[in-house]
Amino acid sequence: MKFLEDIILKLGAVDRRVIFVLIGLAVLIPLLTPISLPVRETPTTVKFYDGIEDIPKNSKVLVSFDYGPSTRPEIHPMNVGVLRHMLRNGHQIYISCLWPDGIYMALDALEEITDEVNPDNESTFDIKEYEDYILLGYRPGAEAVIKGLASDLRKVYTVDANGNFIDDIEMMDGIKNLNDFAYIYSGSAGYPGTFEWVKYGGDPTGVPMSSGTTSVQVNEVIPYVQTGQLIGLLAGMPGAAEYEKLINVPGIAIQGMAAQSFAHIVIVLFIVFGNLAFFIKQRRDRKY
Amino acid sequence: MLLKRYIPIAIVAFFGALTLSAWFIDNETIETFANDDATQFFDIIAAFAVFLGALNLLKLQFIKVLKQQSGWIYSAIAIASFFFAFIIGFFIRGAYFVGEDVYFSQKAAEAAILGSGSSEVVVPVDWGAHVQTDGSLFQWMFKYIFSPLSATMFALLAFFVASASFRAFRARNFEASLLLVAGIIIMLGRVPIGSLISSWTIMYILAFSIGIGINSYVKNRNVMFGWILGSCGAITGFGMTMGWPIDQPAIFFLPALQEWIYLVPNLAGSRAILIGIGLGIVATSLRYIFGLEKSYLGE
Repeated sequence: MKFLEDIILKLGAVDRRVIFVLIGLAVLIPLLTPISLPVRETPTTVKFYDGIEDIPKNSKVLVSFDYGPSTRPEIHPMNVGVLRHMLRNGHQIYISCLWPDGIYMALDALEEITDEVNPDNESTFDIKEYEDYILLGYRPGAEAVIKGLASDLRKVYTVDANGNFIDDIEMMDGIKNLNDFAYIYSGSAGYPGTFEWVKYGGDPTGVPMSSGTTSVQVNEVIPYVQTGQLIGLLAGMPGAAEYEKLINVPGIAIQGMAAQSFAHIVIVLFIVFGNLAFFIKQRRDRKY
Repeated sequence: MLLKRYIPIAIVAFFGALTLSAWFIDNETIETFANDDATQFFDIIAAFAVFLGALNLLKLQFIKVLKQQSGWIYSAIAIASFFFAFIIGFFIRGAYFVGEDVYFSQKAAEAAILGSGSSEVVVPVDWGAHVQTDGSLFQWMFKYIFSPLSATMFALLAFFVASASFRAFRARNFEASLLLVAGIIIMLGRVPIGSLISSWTIMYILAFSIGIGINSYVKNRNVMFGWILGSCGAITGFGMTMGWPIDQPAIFFLPALQEWIYLVPNLAGSRAILIGIGLGIVATSLRYIFGLEKSYLGE
């Protein structure tokens, strides 16, 4: 028993560099040699999927890219999935960004979708700018931008991301403010993002909306799901993986689940060993 | 005093009250002000704030470099990076198209036309659109410098979270134990591997843990072994009767348990915080409108 306790004590005092190496391996190995793990849909993701399915076909939807490269692994897969799902249902997509780097994320997502080919080696989505989507671009001002969009979109965006006048773009005909969209979606990694869209976009206009967020934001955003202010939620990378499963396009999020699973297991094991060592040490200190 | 104190307070009080009244008074002019004009004011001020922020950043970094304070080399890199981004954003288009091909400079594009003998013309990318055009220098910087650096910084969090939770996540008291157990359930329940851990495994672990708990209070091994044998026997019997379904009883199934934590205790706590924040905003806004809050004047 003492031998076992000594081992646990040694594990409890392990150098942090060892932890770094183990976490690195736990993430790297599943990414290099993909392991398939079952993905189980949670009610919030199913609600999100149903919410998008419920949008009348060929509607106009607003998608906001409110994240940057740092949170790309979590948010990007869900945004690509949302674009796929919306394009599949024939919606016209209007892309805005509250983050300056959001526009690059949007461009990457569109490129990814454009490059996607079906088994016949033809483009799955033959999408065209100004017909299927429009890139409105980034505007500074966070919630003020959303408030402006809710009131008069053309005052916030006089030109699109390519510098073309909004008034000259046919796809913008009939779009005055957020009320002219059937749905709002924000892929958000913090401020400005989901909170601001709910408070200044979705709630005042009554346009149904939902969001995809990083895992750490979920506990703050979840009250809005319960009240119906958000129609479901994509919660971090697990949410993205569940959504990829629902739309039947397995992607990077499902692949990343194995890496995240093993990393979590390693962290939990370290916490357990750390606590066991803590209790053993406490007991020994009491004895002597 | 009048210019520095009373006029700013009066401006804030007036515009604060005007914007607030738009929610309660059915007047088109006030509504237009609150919904359009005020947000335009905000956008313009926010745009100027970017300049102010940039100047402030440069000032601080320059002082650090000039005084050669610790870490001044990083400040020098920050300054160089700032000017690099500034120059390629404002003065270099960095993308000249010859048909589908993109070249960094006009000269290179012209040379390519001369070399191929084609009749195509050089089309420079529009100013503004150049920052997002594939092949431009700004786009290159974003893709190959900013993105990897940004992603690396965020990825390092995983290592620090692991190390910090190992050292600090200790069941020192009841509250800490509650946090620890909830944290473990969320960590395992959120990922697919959590759904591979059967409810029965969790029940056995729970039976053993309670046994250890009993032993540390009662200090009687017979009672402890009695409990473990009894509870494990009951779980086994129960499992055999039910056919060992992985997700039943749901209360011990990690994904269901983490969902409950998210949707019940966490939701209640988050809502309480949100209501608190809301009330705080109301109180602070009223303090601004009544001129009681003067922190924006530096007081």
